[in-house]
Amino acid sequence: MTLRLGVEPRARPALPVRLGVPVASLLAAGLAGAVVILVAGASPVEAYRTMLDASLNGVRPLTRTLVLATPLILTGLAAAVAFRMKVWNIGAEGQLYMGAIAAAGLALALPSGTPKPLMLLVILVAGAVAGALWAGLAALPKAYFNTNEVITTLMLNFVALYFMNYLIFGSVSFWRDPEAMFPQGKLIPASAQLPIISHRLHYGLLVALAAALVLWWSLRGTTWGFELRTIGDSPAASRYAGMSVSGKVLSVLALSGALAGVAGAIEVSGVLKTLDPRAIATELGFTGIVVAAVARLNPLGVVPVAVLLGAVVASGTNLQTVGLEAEIVFLLQGLIFLFVAAGEFFLANRLVFPRTAAAVGSP
Amino acid sequence: MADVGETILEVHDLNKAFYGVAANDRVNFDLRSGEVHGLLGENGAGKSTLCSVLAGLYRPDSGEVRLDGRPVTLRSPHEAAEHGIGMVYQHFRLVPSLTVAENLVLGLKGQGIRLTLRAVQNRVAAIAEEYGLTVHPDSYVWQLSVGEQQRVEILKQLYRGARILILDEPTAVLAPHECERLYEVVRHMADQGHSVVLVSHKMEEILGHTDRVTVLRHGRNAGTVNTAETTAAILATMMIGTEHLPEPGQHAVRRLDHAPVVLSVENLQVGGDRGVLAVDGASVEVRRGQIVGVAGVAGNGQRELQEAIAGLRAIRSGSVRLGERDITAASPRERSRAGLAYVPEDRLGTGLASGLTIEENLVLKSYREPPHSRLGVLSSSAVGTTARTLIERFDVRGARRGMAVSLMSGGNLQKAILARELSRSHDVLLAASPTRGLDLAATAAVRAHIRAETGEGRGVLLFSEDLAEITELADVIVVMSRGRIVGSYTPETLDVEELGLLMTGAEGMVQAAVRDGGSEA
Repeated sequence: MTLRLGVEPRARPALPVRLGVPVASLLAAGLAGAVVILVAGASPVEAYRTMLDASLNGVRPLTRTLVLATPLILTGLAAAVAFRMKVWNIGAEGQLYMGAIAAAGLALALPSGTPKPLMLLVILVAGAVAGALWAGLAALPKAYFNTNEVITTLMLNFVALYFMNYLIFGSVSFWRDPEAMFPQGKLIPASAQLPIISHRLHYGLLVALAAALVLWWSLRGTTWGFELRTIGDSPAASRYAGMSVSGKVLSVLALSGALAGVAGAIEVSGVLKTLDPRAIATELGFTGIVVAAVARLNPLGVVPVAVLLGAVVASGTNLQTVGLEAEIVFLLQGLIFLFVAAGEFFLANRLVFPRTAAAVGSP
Repeated sequence: MADVGETILEVHDLNKAFYGVAANDRVNFDLRSGEVHGLLGENGAGKSTLCSVLAGLYRPDSGEVRLDGRPVTLRSPHEAAEHGIGMVYQHFRLVPSLTVAENLVLGLKGQGIRLTLRAVQNRVAAIAEEYGLTVHPDSYVWQLSVGEQQRVEILKQLYRGARILILDEPTAVLAPHECERLYEVVRHMADQGHSVVLVSHKMEEILGHTDRVTVLRHGRNAGTVNTAETTAAILATMMIGTEHLPEPGQHAVRRLDHAPVVLSVENLQVGGDRGVLAVDGASVEVRRGQIVGVAGVAGNGQRELQEAIAGLRAIRSGSVRLGERDITAASPRERSRAGLAYVPEDRLGTGLASGLTIEENLVLKSYREPPHSRLGVLSSSAVGTTARTLIERFDVRGARRGMAVSLMSGGNLQKAILARELSRSHDVLLAASPTRGLDLAATAAVRAHIRAETGEGRGVLLFSEDLAEITELADVIVVMSRGRIVGSYTPETLDVEELGLLMTGAEGMVQAAVRDGGSEA
């Protein structure tokens, strides 16, 4: 008798399965990572312990991780909300840059004596608006001429990147510090800097968490979220139900861009204190896509996933102490994505062992 | 007529079922060399299944296929091609970015790595000339018209040595002048000794361009006749059958000629997916308490007409009125609020959002209205209450909380759609193939709901390919063909033969028949 595994679709996975499968996927990714670390000539146990120490063990490592996780939560939400409607916004990267440029610009333009709450509100809103408008450049042709948003949003990333580089490196712009010997941005005033919770952790984290909660609730509990999920699920059914698909494309892409833009504003205000193209162009937007995918497009799931990826990134430099390259963390990130994606299969299907098949009496 | 030779292909007692439903039930068929053999039947009569078995696409459950007297098994289209059987599908299987010659050799074995296209081109040119299939071997397929692409498909089969050609509704995609050219090619192939199976539900085509006709009905043989010895009327009766003619008195015909009109469609023109007019001047009226059934072969503009009435497809000209109100330019939501309930043909995907739960689907049209939502905030308790009420009232089974509707059975899906549509205030129900694919119990339940509509003084416009359903339910039966309403009957005046002629696009023959009848009387 040949041994054959059968596969059948699951109706709706029970909670233990829904939680157990991602955990098992992460463990499997860790095992595969261990093999890579071994091959690279280091001890996996030591490497993983170093990573834990550098990212989660203690207040200082933890704050470092959370600082890195904050923009990833926002770009993760940006991807999740668009992908839920099957609108593929690959442009969070550029929308984040535009948010950073707008926030830094207003922080520098407003009088430095502006009251801090007002100043912070203005620059966060400026970041959101700039991100939304940048996404809108792709959203308008998508909504009215059905252009492919994958291409337009992706290409706009480059436009935003080179525009930002031009402002600091290519010209003596309003953003650039004219006195500095090397090209760099002007420092924003203290009133435009996000207050600190502990060590380097700033209040931007709370903004990101609030955004996750509001978005999670909006998707389940509002007519806006209901329409978004219906259009994402069945465009024909949503038209049949009288929903306006093109209007929704506009609002969802604008919201997605706004979330990425806020991430850019928070990086400027809470971390960099200036428009620093090199420090901000660390693929936060693209990593957000990974975060959203691993979180299965659930806004609440985005938070732990962003923290996890933030922890992996935070431990990068410390890995050099055990004789590994810092780049190994990107490899680990890739492995996590790979195994979680594979785990999706086990969420949607169950394995049927031949014993049960034989009992039914197959020929 | 062509010289018809000996039998080359025989099919004996072919059975093929899909999910327990017989698509071919003891079908017999034979094909002679040099003949054009028409295969006639309604949608779902089993024509496509028979052809797909011959083309090696489906394996029969039982039965025998004999070629030149020897039994053969056709396990794949490739094996069928080796036996000289080639099929031209309605949807062409060509690569647009390649040339005609490249498409012809695509997938053929023994080509080597370097294509010797020169030789191919010469042979193609020779075959093309022999059969009058003028098409240039160097042209790219994307540059060709639909008719030319079809010629390439036929060329492809001839190039591969097909002696039996199956053409699946070949004129469905062609303009009239292209049809004439195709018929010439078909006749020419037959003269050269090829055999052609012409699948069609157009009466004129079958009568004008075949030597023999096999009619299928509900998956079974309804007979095979020589074309020269038959008439459109005989074929129409064979195709539709007489078993579902309503018994006199079985259907209580109501006199509703003076009831107010609740839905009026006037001279409507609607574009199809390919841009040509799919609905070309259709007019129909539904009165209070009346069920109007639209009979017709699928693909004659029914879907486009439904979508235009529901607001899902742009109307080029004409008007749609709901009661006193002109809704020609209204949005789908405005039409729904104005009193139009719509049960679409496509249940999962249009009627229901497949990934959403039963609760969410039941409020798909009322989620913006209180108590389901206020100021954009949904009330899950109100949605749940509505859902529970509807599930109980309409006996929707197999739904669990939070479960995606895609896991429910067809009958329960349809009940869920009816529950949502009929529970909203409405004057008109537009229902498309409401019982297709349902089991007996679900069918009966759906029909009972439709019938109950009239008691409430509402009007129903019922589209169905199942003539028995229409004769059972409708007070007025209209026929749709080529985008227009071409005939209207009451169950008393229903003439099945004439109806069949109209459905198959033979209006001219109806007029002739009426004239003949008149002269005899």
